[in-house]
Amino acid sequence: MKQPLALTQKQLISGLSLILAALFLLSLFVGSNPIPLFQAARDTLLDTPSVIALIFSEVRLPRALIALFTGATLGLCGAAMQGLLRNPLASPGLIGSASGAALGAVCMLYFGMSAATTMALPAGGIIGALAATMLVYLLAGRDAGTLTLILAGVAINALALALISLLLNLAPSPYAVREIVLWMMGSIANHSMDDFQIMLPGVLLGWFLLIGTGRSLDALTLGEETTTTMGISLSRLRWRIFFAIALAVGSAISITGSIGFIGLVVPHLLRPLVDHQPSRLLLASAIGGAILLLAADICVRLFPAGTDIKVGVLTSLVGAPFFLYLIIKSRRFVL
Amino acid sequence: MSKQLITALLLIICSFPSQSAEPPTRVASINLCTDQLLLMLADSRQIASISYLAVESSSSFMAEEAQQYQVNHEKIEELLSLKPDLILASEYSNRALIQLMQKLGHQVETFPLPSDIEGIQANITRMAQLLGQEKRGQQLVEQMNQRIDQVIKQQPAVHPKAIFYQPNHYTSGRNTLQDTALRVAGWRNLAAELGIEGYNPIDIEDLLMADPEQLFTSPYAPNSNSLAEQQLSHPALQRVTAGRKMIEIDYKYWICGGPMIADAIEQLHRSLPQ
Repeated sequence: MKQPLALTQKQLISGLSLILAALFLLSLFVGSNPIPLFQAARDTLLDTPSVIALIFSEVRLPRALIALFTGATLGLCGAAMQGLLRNPLASPGLIGSASGAALGAVCMLYFGMSAATTMALPAGGIIGALAATMLVYLLAGRDAGTLTLILAGVAINALALALISLLLNLAPSPYAVREIVLWMMGSIANHSMDDFQIMLPGVLLGWFLLIGTGRSLDALTLGEETTTTMGISLSRLRWRIFFAIALAVGSAISITGSIGFIGLVVPHLLRPLVDHQPSRLLLASAIGGAILLLAADICVRLFPAGTDIKVGVLTSLVGAPFFLYLIIKSRRFVL
Repeated sequence: MSKQLITALLLIICSFPSQSAEPPTRVASINLCTDQLLLMLADSRQIASISYLAVESSSSFMAEEAQQYQVNHEKIEELLSLKPDLILASEYSNRALIQLMQKLGHQVETFPLPSDIEGIQANITRMAQLLGQEKRGQQLVEQMNQRIDQVIKQQPAVHPKAIFYQPNHYTSGRNTLQDTALRVAGWRNLAAELGIEGYNPIDIEDLLMADPEQLFTSPYAPNSNSLAEQQLSHPALQRVTAGRKMIEIDYKYWICGGPMIADAIEQLHRSLPQ
């Protein structure tokens, strides 16, 4: 039974990709100074690049790339998590993976470990994300209902955020305390190409691990027993997805800070368009997440100069009402 | 009323102003900026206490000299037990504490934070007067002026473009010590030319567009880690100055205005491209 909205996967993906490409280009155009973009891009190939080339290649390009990859990661992981736990409210932000990742990254950055090796930062994020996700999963139990899972997520989120505040207050750097908000709300401003390279390996590895899980997630919609009879090992699937999420979310969040609600909202918006099929939802959510974060980041830059609004503030402003809407909708089901 | 009593009363009344004209002997300073001027100008027997920041070598220019004195933490109990006859504070010191000490009959003098050489000279002269060390104050001002004049005499033909860049994107615009020092040393301060007033953040794109030839920085805590400090190692910053490294000027020269500004100016002058 097809819904009128449902498109073929090809149409949907190419449509989303077009929007993504347009936003990516727009993101390169928007900044505090108007620069001739094509000349700037050409100038980056020169031996001594001009100032506009520097702005293009060292300021705007990394910002757009980080928004693209982080958004895609959050969207993709949200879709995978919702499919795995068959729970509409599961997402990296609510389950604690994101705040766990931020906590891990904070440990590494402010106490000197990341100065020793650049890979310490994403490693901290990955370990933090994995630990928080596992903790919530164990706390809530295997067949947890929506409410139990969310409660466990709230508890672990609160714990991780409290520990971030504590660590940043104790950190030797005098600047640390002011950065609490950055880790809690997330920001993709002022990053360099180096930061992008630091997050890239973990993100790509996580995506790679998630690629083959679509069919298993489709099977899972028929129930756990059916899935097992189809020869799919549930515990292996679970570990694979948790590990992939930790790799991708951990690496991305260790650079950007915890950006909320993308992993929750995007899969929900796109689910009707893919006929409620988890396998089709994965790619669509990845592109959708990237679109949402790029759009939010462009909006943040449109505020007058000097108002340093974090991109996570905007995604939460969009996401929180949506979260409430989901709760109201699920209540109607119960009644 | 007997004549003797009246004479005695008159004597007591008259003795007040003459007593306060005596140089103070138990001076307590509760601010790093007044600590340093006090340590430079007073006899060691005049100093009762200095603030705890004065002994920290990263922030205090007079850390070595400060070691022998009792430190305070800007707390009322400490100050009362010191029984000071003069308390020195900055205009940004704890207001409630200052008012309370004044109410209890203590003389409290607050000093402004200067943003130019004239302000520094005025602070030194005033401090010297309060301590009864006018001659030392005059010497200190003369020495500082001489060193600065020396630098002014050797101005480069072309003033290269420079900018201060601190953690959290802060820069020093007009009416800051850094602006004064840069210009005296023979640099142009791009932040002031961009219309930035005082200490304020600058957008990294604006900074790159201004195309500086040299970046300077004075971070608070050189050996700690934070996102704010990571900004200083943004690769674009090194590439825009054609590989010329950001130069670190010690924070202790500017955190307070004082004669040590001459050290900073000389350092900035030496770093002019040859």
